[in-house]
Amino acid sequence: MGWRAALATWAALLGGVLAAWSLAAATLPMPAYVLPPPTAVLEALVDLARKGILPTYVGESLRRIVQAALVAVAVGVPAGVLLGMSRRAAEFSYPLLSFFQSVSGIAWLPLMLIWFGFGERTILIAVNYTVLFPVVFNALLGVRSVPQIYVNALRTLGASRWRIAWAVLLPGALPSIATGVRLGLAYGWRALIAAEMLVGANGLGFMIFSAQPFHLTARIMLGMGIIGVLWTLLDYFFLRPLEDATIARWGLVQR
Amino acid sequence: MRAGVRGVLPFAVLVLAWAALARSGWLPPVFLPPPAEVARTAGEMLADGSLWAHVGASLGRVALGLAVSVPLAVTAGVFVGLNRRLAPVLEPIAGFFNSLSGIAWLPLAITWFGLGWLSVTFILFNTIFFLVFFNTLVGVRTVPRILEQAVRTLGGRRRHLILQVLIPGALPSIVTGIRLGVGFGWRALIAAEMIATTTGLGYLIYDAANFHRTDTILVGIIAIGTLWLATDRLLLIPVERWTVERWGLVSRTGV
Repeated sequence: MGWRAALATWAALLGGVLAAWSLAAATLPMPAYVLPPPTAVLEALVDLARKGILPTYVGESLRRIVQAALVAVAVGVPAGVLLGMSRRAAEFSYPLLSFFQSVSGIAWLPLMLIWFGFGERTILIAVNYTVLFPVVFNALLGVRSVPQIYVNALRTLGASRWRIAWAVLLPGALPSIATGVRLGLAYGWRALIAAEMLVGANGLGFMIFSAQPFHLTARIMLGMGIIGVLWTLLDYFFLRPLEDATIARWGLVQR
Repeated sequence: MRAGVRGVLPFAVLVLAWAALARSGWLPPVFLPPPAEVARTAGEMLADGSLWAHVGASLGRVALGLAVSVPLAVTAGVFVGLNRRLAPVLEPIAGFFNSLSGIAWLPLAITWFGLGWLSVTFILFNTIFFLVFFNTLVGVRTVPRILEQAVRTLGGRRRHLILQVLIPGALPSIVTGIRLGVGFGWRALIAAEMIATTTGLGYLIYDAANFHRTDTILVGIIAIGTLWLATDRLLLIPVERWTVERWGLVSRTGV
């Protein structure tokens, strides 16, 4: 099936869902806040965009996740590679890393609230924690999975330790690092939404959570839609190209 | 045996460092209780049964979520996967709902179902269903057509095709979906329990924060991490490995 036919089917499906949703919202004997019609979601979009709330909240959420991603790459990748370079350090840190990776940032949130108070600092630390550990863990795994023979080859040719790290271990670990970045950001994005709900004063999580007591359901649905679209865009334009590039270029796939 | 020692040693070092830090008086005990106090709290909570009650509530919710969503998701995934027109259309939609998985459903869940187990089950259902549906769909679509045609040529009915070719062929992908679903679901559950319920590990640690009971919080965090690690290492990863070896379309040398 060509993309034209797929697009047509997709448009028909979307139209059908919107029509059914409108019909259900108009006819079902329920209060309007239980199921607002699609037009109400559109109105919420226009309203919040005009007031400037939406751009601010989207910007705040994006700023936090981008910051956490940058820290994870700048700190997590070198840390994982360094730990992976020594067999002893890798064996020592592996159980700790897998444990801390298993406790999501949200589980630390109550403790962080006591340590750092209700505020921006707690959100940032929870999100950074959540993104960082999968990156360190997978960078370590990636380095350990590089065949020893490549390291030996370079060593025989007289390469220094740093040259080996830079020319063999890091490229060899890149596919695994890309996996870690994807997993970390996927968990981190959700932890961010949850942290903004529990702590926040702005951001998309705060937007949908604070709308709930006032029964602003259209606003909740709008926020959910934006959360989904932002992640889809991030996935399509950043994570997938990253994975494709690293696995195709450096993956140890037998061709 | 040696592997066991190697796995425990890092945690022993961590606990020693924690004890030393708590003893140094650099942090007030409200911020960081010594390990002995956390162990004593854990002992009390185990003795009076409260920890078991919270663990049971959380695990029960995950089990309920799995029992409701996995059969539906696999059935839906196989039938959509069979339809060559519908599958490419629904795949990106399932992908979109995956990116929404978990905690972003919470405000809508509370609006629809109120605070309580129904909201939490709804969140778990959405998280697990779409991940398993998506992976079943992808798994069914990657079964080579030639296997399908072979069964047809030999007079196999649609029923045979589904039960003997498509489901076994998609099984590694389905199990991966379940593993991801439980991973995301567990994290979403902890966050949802903080807000929407009065039992479960998420509630335990969030409620303890109100009373500055850092010892209780740490007991909860350790329980959350240990439970996930045990589930993942002892159940999910072995099952995944087994299905990939048994049914995976991995070409082995000599076969």
